[in-house]
Order: sequence, then structure tokens, then C-alpha cells
Amino acid sequence: MYEWLKSIPLVWGTIIAVAGFAAMIIWAWFRPKSYIFKDAPDQRWWRDLRIWTSVLLALQIIIYLSF
Amino acid sequence: MDIGGIDLVIVITYLVAIPIFGFYFKKYVKTEKDYFLAGKMLPWWVISMSIIGTNIGAYDYMGAAGGAYRFGIAQAHYEWIGAIPAIVLSALLFVPYYWKAGVYTVPEFLGKRYNTAVRVIEALLWGSFLACVLGVFFWASGLMLNEYLGIPVEFSLIITAAIVGIYTITGGLAAVAMTDVVQLLVMFIGGLALTVLGLWTVGGWSGLVEKIVPSHPQHFKLFLPLDNPTYPWLGMIFGLALVLSPAWWCCHQAIIQRTLGARSEWDAKAGMLFAAFPKMLIPVLVVLPGLLALALNPHLAGSDMDKAFPWLIKNLLPTGLAGLVFAAFMAALISSVDSTLNSAATLWTRDIYQRFFVKKASDRHYLKVGRILTFGFVIWAIIFAPLTKEFPGIYVAMQTLLSIFQGPTFAITLLGIYWKRANQWGGLFGLLGGVGISTFLFIALDWSFLYIAWWSFVGALVITIIVSLLTKPDPIEKLEGLVYGLVIKEKSIQEALKKRAERR
Repeated sequence: MYEWLKSIPLVWGTIIAVAGFAAMIIWAWFRPKSYIFKDAPDQRWWRDLRIWTSVLLALQIIIYLSF
Repeated sequence: MDIGGIDLVIVITYLVAIPIFGFYFKKYVKTEKDYFLAGKMLPWWVISMSIIGTNIGAYDYMGAAGGAYRFGIAQAHYEWIGAIPAIVLSALLFVPYYWKAGVYTVPEFLGKRYNTAVRVIEALLWGSFLACVLGVFFWASGLMLNEYLGIPVEFSLIITAAIVGIYTITGGLAAVAMTDVVQLLVMFIGGLALTVLGLWTVGGWSGLVEKIVPSHPQHFKLFLPLDNPTYPWLGMIFGLALVLSPAWWCCHQAIIQRTLGARSEWDAKAGMLFAAFPKMLIPVLVVLPGLLALALNPHLAGSDMDKAFPWLIKNLLPTGLAGLVFAAFMAALISSVDSTLNSAATLWTRDIYQRFFVKKASDRHYLKVGRILTFGFVIWAIIFAPLTKEFPGIYVAMQTLLSIFQGPTFAITLLGIYWKRANQWGGLFGLLGGVGISTFLFIALDWSFLYIAWWSFVGALVITIIVSLLTKPDPIEKLEGLVYGLVIKEKSIQEALKKRAERR
């Protein structure tokens, strides 16, 4: 079992990580707007936590594709 | 690093200014809620900076730089894949439920969701862990003041206690969070000064790569083979990213407590989420110095590799910057000590004292108890700290203890919030069974803590589901406001939330 796992190319680490980050961005955009802005003083675009999430995870994708 | 002249002025100014600044917030503390939750008035930007100040300790500087010296940039997994996705999950999935439940601690939430036994087990585990960690932090602080300023260790412990104690005992979470903001700025300024100077010395990023890659070709690869003892890629994904990291960011009392003090649900979520931005930059402060040390001196071997950071400071910093970097070191340490102190007192006051000893006393009574307990933990830390010297493995032992109960805690919290059929018996047996599995794996198979965390999480998840399905469901009224899809219907709570939103 362990030998079989060892034969998996390392690039799969990057593929799984990047796919996970991308999936989280999509998931965040499925959160309802009312939930994201609940209790917020206003609904300006920069208070949209889905945008914050997308920027964060996009940066992670760039980092994991670079190294 | 020799501290003298202007450096000494910087260090002393910092050490005097922090308690004075923190003490200022005493005037805002009138009730138990003011003390433990900053009166539920914290804005998102304070929460995020305080979270990272709490998260990064002096051990991170030393350990991460040593890890980077040995294995390279893979060390940064702990700040990237081992933090960012979990912070997003915590902000968007967990924090809103904790905040809405109006609790002071994570065990209190689990007690509401499951039963008192789960609350007590969690409170004792976290309470003991935080109390022991305090001793280790105090000892590290004493050693630093001793090594760099020449102050005797015993006296250094008392200085640390005085600095942290003054504002933590009097000002509670508000003082802790506000001082953390300043400490994070000091950490970044000092850390960046060292990194920039180091990069300039080695000829920039390209110079760094050229110096390291020929002899260490794996040092700029994030994913390392499975036979790597510390960073096997599967362990990084399944153990760290999927279990340990969410368990830390979604269930750690010292981290979550800041969001519980948020002035609104949006501030709680935004505070946690924004913490990911400074977190993403932490490798520049703690990982890059390890690589810089390797480029400048590739001859450190064995345990000396852990001294990569001090080596860099000693051999790179000119007079004037040494004081700044030392202040950054102390800021990292003190911002973790004050948060741990405050969270330990909150846990013991709310989950033990208030639950078992004096159930219905006045607000001022619990405020007084909170302050006495905080003072008690300061004294405890001074007494406990020297034991760290007698038992050098104590910090590793505590981290192991943490990994033993983190997986199961995360499993029952996740099911507690997102599966209404999970009941009190499922939660209790899931927690106990998960801890049993990780203890067995640790003792019998001596596995890496990354794999132990994964299997104890899976085990706790399965046990909770099976036991819950075999026993009676909890009444739906008990779950309202605590579980996804079951919003609080109580009119008075909805009205209060609406009024608060209008006031802002």
C-alpha cells in the first residue's frame, strides 16, 4: 500500500491543492448574499466576503503553481 | 546580537509602552462581558490583527527558520495550505454559529450543542493545555531577556509577568486585542527589516535561488516525497490541510475568542477572513530567513540548524536594527502570552467555576473571579516556567497532546453545526472514541502526528454518526440557532439583533 502511494507523482500534490482552492472559490460564491452581508453596515462591493475569499484563494493558486 | 545604545532605547521604549497602552483600556471594563469579550465591540480589523498576533509566537520564528534551513520552502505549508483554506472555512462556516449562540468559549458552544460532559472534557483539555503553554511561553521570554539583555532568568520572568499582567488582568480582551494590533505592526517592521537586508546581501531572490538550488534542489519545492520525515505531501494535504489546520482555526479557544467579541456577525466573519492576508505574508518573516541563513552559511548541522535565525541576526544586523528585531521577537512572544492568559482565564471562569462552583452570582462577581484567575495564571506561569528547563521535551509533549484531541474536537464540532441528527451521545462517544484512537495510534504505532490527526478525525466522525443514529435524536428546540438551517425563532433575539443593526 505504502509503496503504491510512493509511486504517485508529486505533481498530484499541486493538482489536488489547486483544485481544492478553486473548489472553495466556487463554494464561496454559492453562499447567499444575505448570509455574506448579514449585520454589515452597508452592502458596498468591498464588504462582500466572497470577493475577499476569491482574492485570497487566487493568490494561493498562484503560489502553489509557482512552487 | 548585542543590544546597546540606540537598540536598548528601542527595546526599553517598547517594553514600557505596551503595558501603558494596554492599561488604558481598563476604563472600558465594567462587566464580565467587557472583560472576556471586550463588550462585544471589536471591529473586524482589530480581530484579524489580534488573531495573527496570537497565532505567531517566538517559537515560530526559531522553528520555522530551522525547518526552512533543513527542508526549504515546504515549511511554508503551515502558513499557506495549512492555514488559508481553514481560515476561510472558519469565517464562513463556524464563526457565525459561535457568534450567534452568544457563548464565551468553544466548549460552552459544544456543551449547548451536545451535553455538559462534552463541555467539561473539552474545557479541561483546552484549559490544561493553555495553562501549560503559558509556562513554556514565560520561560522562552525569560531566556530571551537573559540572553540579549543579560537580565537573570528569574528576574526576567517577573519582568514578563509585570508587562503582560498589568494590562491583561485589568483590561481583559479589549486590552489584549488592541496591544496585539501594535505588536503585529512591530513584528512586521522588525521581521521585514531582517528579510530585506538578508535578500540585499545575497543578491536578491535570484541570488538566493542560485546559491541554494545546486546543493539543495528540493528547497524551492512545496511538495516533498512521502519518505520525507517532516513534510510528506500526503500528510500535508490529509493531516494538515484537512484536519489539523481546520481544527486549529475553527476550534482553538484563543483564536475564536476574538471573533466572539465582535460588534456584529459581519465583523466576526470579516475579522477571521481578513486574518488570512497577513497570515499569507508570514513566510516572508519566518521561512525566508531560514533560506537566507542557508545561502550565507550552509555549514550548520544537526540541532544547530534550529539556530539559523539567531545566526542570521548575529551576523547580519547592524547596530540600530538589532533593537528593532529584538522588539519584533518580544512582540511575537508577548502577543501570544497575553491571549493565552486571557483565554485560559475565560475557560476556567466560564466552563468550570461558573458551571460547577457558583452558578448564579452577579456580573461583578464573575469579573472579579476572571481577574483573580488571570492573576493566578501569571503566578502559575512564573512557578511552572523553570520546569521547562528540567523537562526539555515538554513543549513537544504538549503539541502531541494537542494533536491527540484536535481531530476528534473538529469532527464533533463540524457534525454539531452541520448535521442536526448528531446528538449528545454521538458527540460524547465520538470525542472519547476519537481521543482513544489517536492515543492508541500514538503509543502502538508511533505514527507521524499528521496521520494520527487524520485517522482520529475519521474515527470520531464515524463513531458520532453511528452512535447518533442508534440513539434518540435531540429535541429540535435544543438545536435552534446552533445548527445549520435551524435559525433562532425567538422574537426577542431577532428584535435585539435588528436594533443593534439599526444603531450602527
